[in-house]
Amino acid sequence: MLTIDSVSKTFFPHTVNERRALVDVNLELTEGDFVTVIGSNGAGKSTLLNTVAGRIHQDTGVVSLDGSDVSRLKEHQRAAQVGRVFQDPMAGTAPNLSIEENLSLADRRGRPRGLSRGVTKAKRERFAEALKQLELGLEGRLKTKVGLLSGGQRQALSLLMATYSDPRVLLLDEHTAALDPQRAELVTRLTRSVVEDKGLTTLMVTHNMVQALEVGNRLIMMHEGRIILDVGAEQKAQMTPQDLLAEFGKLKGAVVDDKTLLQ
Amino acid sequence: MITAFELGLIYAIMALGVYLTFRILNFPDLTVDGSFTSGAATAAILITNEVDPFLATAAAFVVGSLAGMITGLLHTKGNINGLLAGILTMIGLYSINLRIMDGANVPLLGQDTVISMMRGFTGVGWTSVAVLAAVALIFKLIMDWYLQTDNGLALRATGDNEQMISSFAVSTDRQKIIGLMLSNGLVGIAGAVVAQHQGFADIGMGIGLILVGLASVIVGQAIFGSRSVMQATLAVILGAVVYRLAIQLALNVGLNPNDMKLMSAILVVAALLLPQWKGFSKLSLRRRSSSPLADAAAPLTTPDAHLPKASAEKGA
Repeated sequence: MLTIDSVSKTFFPHTVNERRALVDVNLELTEGDFVTVIGSNGAGKSTLLNTVAGRIHQDTGVVSLDGSDVSRLKEHQRAAQVGRVFQDPMAGTAPNLSIEENLSLADRRGRPRGLSRGVTKAKRERFAEALKQLELGLEGRLKTKVGLLSGGQRQALSLLMATYSDPRVLLLDEHTAALDPQRAELVTRLTRSVVEDKGLTTLMVTHNMVQALEVGNRLIMMHEGRIILDVGAEQKAQMTPQDLLAEFGKLKGAVVDDKTLLQ
Repeated sequence: MITAFELGLIYAIMALGVYLTFRILNFPDLTVDGSFTSGAATAAILITNEVDPFLATAAAFVVGSLAGMITGLLHTKGNINGLLAGILTMIGLYSINLRIMDGANVPLLGQDTVISMMRGFTGVGWTSVAVLAAVALIFKLIMDWYLQTDNGLALRATGDNEQMISSFAVSTDRQKIIGLMLSNGLVGIAGAVVAQHQGFADIGMGIGLILVGLASVIVGQAIFGSRSVMQATLAVILGAVVYRLAIQLALNVGLNPNDMKLMSAILVVAALLLPQWKGFSKLSLRRRSSSPLADAAAPLTTPDAHLPKASAEKGA
């Protein structure tokens, strides 16, 4: 349903800083696929996500959703079908709006935003119900400004908002990397359950090899703008972080950063 | 005194417009200097041509919002810096306003205006102040309502976190244009009513108006708070009245009306500099991490401006 067909992207072409972020990348996701993406720094993981989201437009190749070419659509137009959670816990929510107002914005994804009331009583009950799943007690703080929440709470809320109106594709860009281990664990657990419940087609970038193996039904490894490893569910279940490190070791010039090794 | 209250409440409509761009959209919009006069010119010329004054005031809203649309298009589609986009529209409007009025001013002597019709019922006194207060309150309530709608929430989120709201399928370009149109429409209405209040429209009446708007918003929110939208809009209206009373006081003390632009500038500079002064936080009675004045002024100070303060604190 999500097809990335021979997509290439070069930053600063024809200069000394030229960087080929994506080189002829092909990737096909079927309905309900949950793909984890790993790779060294500068491998093109984030560029891949941003290309799907429409934040970056590829030089060549086609991105299509449900068979229709979305390459020319702008970020906000694609967002009608694509949900995102960013690495920065502050990025996915509006700090000066209350929790219920943020959820109301998420609720209207892909529908016209007119002059009807943003938060009604009926909606408020739905929001409280959804917030209960987070088990953070936020259902009792609907009118609290989101800026007053902690990073972990905000990221959990970002995840709820990104998935609230059932997007066709969910993009997660190292969304647990900036959290402490306990909160990261919570957000990972929430991610698994919401993706499973709603059967969302998901692309998740991560630095954490354990997480990359535990979560999802498929794993791809990227290096220098190319997909160099694509593992299905059965093979993935047998793999250990050591196997992944060995794969990295085979690559010439791949630098695994300290953060990845320490995990 | 009565006049100061009346003018304060009329200028409050303009201040609500400035609040919409400056606080909600985080966009200091200089178009208002031009669109205020455009509103006044449009209404004045229509009234002298026997158009119903209420209809003429409504037309001022349309003309003001068109000016806002031009700034919005220059900024979003033309990728021109927001301040410069506002200045470009403001300068261009100067010529257009002269064209609308076919001269530098239009007198409204002996014409039926919204103010003269109001005077017919209330005379000059506290009743006329009450009527204008009710009008300002109606505009406030409409704005409160709008900012709670789906579209209003999208507008607030556009000023709050652009990355977030575009990831929820909102065109931030479109929301900015809507915000600038509404804001300048309100400014146009205020210009139209001010012209009818003083009995003429004049090419220079909008000069420096952005400072009046900013002073009203910053002073109002520093004194009366801005914890919710409803509180903030009320604070803006009261700020506009306080500002006008302060001007009246300065005049009573013996300052010349020509000094008022300098007074406005000094007032805004003071509002921006005071929160950066170390002693200010000690003076502040309410012990909070940031003072309401600092909050109100934040969008207009650059991050660099806070650096010396931060390093000074480290040294202490």
